[in-house]
Amino acid sequence: MSTAFTLMLDALTKQRGVRASLVAGADDGVTIDSNMQIGQEGTRVAALAASLYRKARRSAKTAGLGATGFMQLEAEAGRLCIIGSDEIVLIVVAERDANIGLIRVEMLRATKELG
Amino acid sequence: MIKASVEPWIEAPLKRFVDDAGVVLALLLHPTGQVQAQHGFTRAVDIMSACALAAAIHVSSAELGRQLDGKPFGGLHHAGKERQVFLAETQTQRGPYILLTVFDHESSLGLVQLYFDEFRANLAGAAPIPVAPPAVTLNEDFEKELNSNLNFLFGRA
Repeated sequence: MSTAFTLMLDALTKQRGVRASLVAGADDGVTIDSNMQIGQEGTRVAALAASLYRKARRSAKTAGLGATGFMQLEAEAGRLCIIGSDEIVLIVVAERDANIGLIRVEMLRATKELG
Repeated sequence: MIKASVEPWIEAPLKRFVDDAGVVLALLLHPTGQVQAQHGFTRAVDIMSACALAAAIHVSSAELGRQLDGKPFGGLHHAGKERQVFLAETQTQRGPYILLTVFDHESSLGLVQLYFDEFRANLAGAAPIPVAPPAVTLNEDFEKELNSNLNFLFGRA
């Protein structure tokens, strides 16, 4: 079943080094759509990443730093990139050597298209 | 001191669920409405009401699922303005149980569902094999058993 996000997620996952891209609800962390190359862990990644982003937004706001934009988590074997709004979050799981600059631009473009 | 569970094997899986999911309240009960474990409650009367309502909602939503989809719904979620409720059934060798949990903006439906799946596996793994078939709670004994469980949880046993 395709959604309004399917084409955007397909394009993101075609980027070199991208293993998965997902759209989830910002508040509930429930997956809306996903393009996965990492098995069946999508719902877990979405729930945890959305929670992480929500807490980062609150931390930044509490610290008087304003709105949170692009967020990147570096792990031993890869990176988690998250960008979002009040309603949805876009999550990309990438390999460690992926071109994060390019992925960031694509994610920013995607969120602008989504309004 | 308020205890967490009537039977000790339930305590660790429930504590882990509460810690991981960051929920405010959690209640594990038999589908009959008998309390088995709790987190976050301070009054026996609240547990009694929550158990009765959860059991009723569970049986109603299961029937609604059967009518609409041919099988009971897997879980029920209600989002309030400040707090949300998640209710779902889990199976063990000791029979089915219902988990009722309440969470706020510190958690999310996604996290609660994620950790409920883990709780389901942990509870099934922790459940001892029953030596005899589970005893059926008779209507005339229901209140006595409910009070007995509440007294145990609230240290009045």
